[in-house]
Amino acid sequence: MKNDPDNHARAGLSRSEAERLNCSGHKRTMNWMLASFFAKLRAGHGQPYRRLCTQLAALVIACGVAAPVAAETVLRTRLNSDILSSDPGTRRDENTDAVILHVVEGLVASRENGSVGPLLAESWTVSQGGRTYTFKLRQGVVFHNGAPLTADDVVWSLRRYLKPETRWRCRLEFAKDGIAQILSITAPNPQTVIITLNRAAPLFLKTLARADCGGTGILQRASVGPNGVWRKPIGTGPFMFGAWQRNQFIDLVRFPRYAALPGPRDGNTGGKHALVDRIRFLVIPDSSAALTALERGSLDILDALAPSDLVLMRGRGDIKLDMAPTLDFYAILFQTNDPLLRDARIRRAIALTLDTAGLTKAVTQGTARPDNSPIPSASPYYGPTETLRRPDLAAARRLLNEAGYHGQPISLITNRRYPQMFDIAVLVQAMAAEAGIDLEIETLDWASQFARYGSGSYQAMSFAVSAKLDPSFNFGLLIGDKTRDPRKVWGSPEAQKLLRQTMETDDPRQRQALFNTLNTAFMREVPAIILFNTTHIAAFRANVTGYKGWPAAQLRLWNVGFSGMR
Amino acid sequence: MLSYIAKRLLLAIPTLLLVAVAVFLLIRLIPGDPAQVMLGEGADAASLAALHHDMGLDHPLPVQFAAWFGHALSGDLGHSIVTGEPVASMILQRFQLTAIIVLVAVLLATLIAVVAGLVAAWRRDSIIDLAVVGSASIVLAVPSFWLGLVLLLVFGLKFGWLPVVGYVPFSESAAQAALFLILPIVTLTLTQSGVLTRMMRASSIDVLRQEYITHARAKGLAERVVLSRHVFPNAFAPTLTLVGLSLGHLLGGIAVLETVFTLPGLGRLMVDSILARDYPVVQGCLLFTAFVYVVVNLLIDICYPLLDPRVTTQ
Repeated sequence: MKNDPDNHARAGLSRSEAERLNCSGHKRTMNWMLASFFAKLRAGHGQPYRRLCTQLAALVIACGVAAPVAAETVLRTRLNSDILSSDPGTRRDENTDAVILHVVEGLVASRENGSVGPLLAESWTVSQGGRTYTFKLRQGVVFHNGAPLTADDVVWSLRRYLKPETRWRCRLEFAKDGIAQILSITAPNPQTVIITLNRAAPLFLKTLARADCGGTGILQRASVGPNGVWRKPIGTGPFMFGAWQRNQFIDLVRFPRYAALPGPRDGNTGGKHALVDRIRFLVIPDSSAALTALERGSLDILDALAPSDLVLMRGRGDIKLDMAPTLDFYAILFQTNDPLLRDARIRRAIALTLDTAGLTKAVTQGTARPDNSPIPSASPYYGPTETLRRPDLAAARRLLNEAGYHGQPISLITNRRYPQMFDIAVLVQAMAAEAGIDLEIETLDWASQFARYGSGSYQAMSFAVSAKLDPSFNFGLLIGDKTRDPRKVWGSPEAQKLLRQTMETDDPRQRQALFNTLNTAFMREVPAIILFNTTHIAAFRANVTGYKGWPAAQLRLWNVGFSGMR
Repeated sequence: MLSYIAKRLLLAIPTLLLVAVAVFLLIRLIPGDPAQVMLGEGADAASLAALHHDMGLDHPLPVQFAAWFGHALSGDLGHSIVTGEPVASMILQRFQLTAIIVLVAVLLATLIAVVAGLVAAWRRDSIIDLAVVGSASIVLAVPSFWLGLVLLLVFGLKFGWLPVVGYVPFSESAAQAALFLILPIVTLTLTQSGVLTRMMRASSIDVLRQEYITHARAKGLAERVVLSRHVFPNAFAPTLTLVGLSLGHLLGGIAVLETVFTLPGLGRLMVDSILARDYPVVQGCLLFTAFVYVVVNLLIDICYPLLDPRVTTQ
């Protein structure tokens, strides 16, 4: 039987549980139990004898599996599914991004207000009309294998990302049809990197910082084997990639030589400090089991708590809650090429039947903020044009009459994997029925719905878009040439032109004006009905310190520790 | 006996071939694109096309099937298109855990069923019979996930005796692995014991009505001997059939229990792969499950003559 000191943590046991099971801590108890055992045996007491046997057996098992109390601090949190890979921005999903961004860091990173701040780059200059970026790297940064960060590593990492075989999610953003094509990446000296684009692209840095691009994390060459096969990420982040037991857990280990930036934590940049020795991401698909684990103390942080579970966690002394508004949105998407829904009056009529505030309150237990604009309410660009549409059944019926709608059924696709999408569909169906609109709910599994989204073969669909730090990215998911990309719901050439303009300027006032114009047109044409921006809810044990959600809704466990720690 | 086994194994080949074809086609008939699921909402057409090419999904279906089945015959079930891991090793790794839980639980459930079913039949219409039938009906009606959650709440949360999440493989620490498996095994044992007990009781009642039982009693044999030597062997055969069916079914995955207890077993692998449209893993899992089903039922058939001399392999 192994007495591996790591076993309790591997098993997901808390420190207190480990102590409870610890053999050395029970020596006195054991001596007493043994003395009692023999005394009872001598006295011939049958019942106590049996009870003692049971207690002894339990203690023997406990001693067998126990480990000495480890000085190591382990922070345990939950992933609802395993990460897809450890290669930043390639085989990925939101869980993968969240884990990997503790390990790797890019030249720049997102701040909480959606802007971009320095991370591995100390500073940068933009020249040649916005086409050339010159980054000066920070001194004293080392990779997890001890190698110093040099410009050569940056060049190697970026060139690797741009190779098609790397399958980097954001490669096409930097190709001919993307935000700007990268023409060259050079390192004139060990501390300087120059990136030249084919055109000015104010969103260049924001794209580099995107979580789904893996933050364009700079890797040491040893991350990849000599045959080009991926090994593991050797980055510069506050935690090193540790053990990965597929579908069980991922361990990140504190990097003692991490070179932290000064100042407070700010998004994915700012002062990042590893306060615990190890982070364990436990893969727990079932939310009930995850809640039980948190209550029991087998989990320290339960991230992305469903609003319906909030009531179970409120008012408990041993659990704290953190709520942060996010930049995502839930919406009803319309197929604007559909013979019926091509008519904007019908789409507008559906929108006018909806009580957005009431629906939001019902679906999210009052935790989310109603919002009819693709610009999330937590965005600095959320402005005066972002007003909630008031329900107006009379106007809706008038529009339907004008459009010649006579109760033809309209399919509304949803799924049960994301309960909020399903609830939205049910409520929208009921509200639209008030004006005589016949929405027929079609419930699919998520992959099937996603395929329909990708091919554009639907009429209406309950959908959600993950948090994006710039409204251009949100509008970019909705606007586009429908003949080339059937996922886009809004093919208007004017909207495409406005979207391009938002990406071609970095002047906040100009961008605000463009977003206002886009939003007004969006509310008029209703290619989709945005409903609300969620609040990211996390529940954690009362002894956890420093946890704070942020608008990107991405889990950050640097600067998080336990009370009573140094 | 050997020719019987060989014949049964040969008969399994067309079964597995049919399963392979059906599995391959059915998973592709379900709408959903693995590349799209992997790339998410922002994926563009070019990225999707590139990923389709990498995954080999841009080839015609017959070409894809021939390539997959050809490799499967040599034991190579391909690689997961989500994680890149070899499917065969994924399945074997996950199957070990599922097999331990299922085999132990079914063994325990069978022992409970044999004893409880025999006693209930022997004391038919008594309070014991009523208790056994009532308990069996309750555990039969209770969904396994609910029972699992209740046990988690009681023994994991309320009393804090057993861990609620996580898992340690037997190779690392047998004692800890056992701690983690107690609740899943108890849950499965209880849910399986219900149906087996009812079957054992019903067949024992039938046997107890037979003339040879009256004859045995008339000879003056003790009730214990009558039950163990005459009733049990004759009444157990139908229960054994059910044990075989349950084993085949459960070894294919206990996805719900594995999800509730966060165990990385075969069932969870299959469900996750279906949701992600990870074609090679789904195909591999289903083919493997069919193979296990065939083998388990063959083993059960081989066991029949040992229990009942009237049954031969001829």
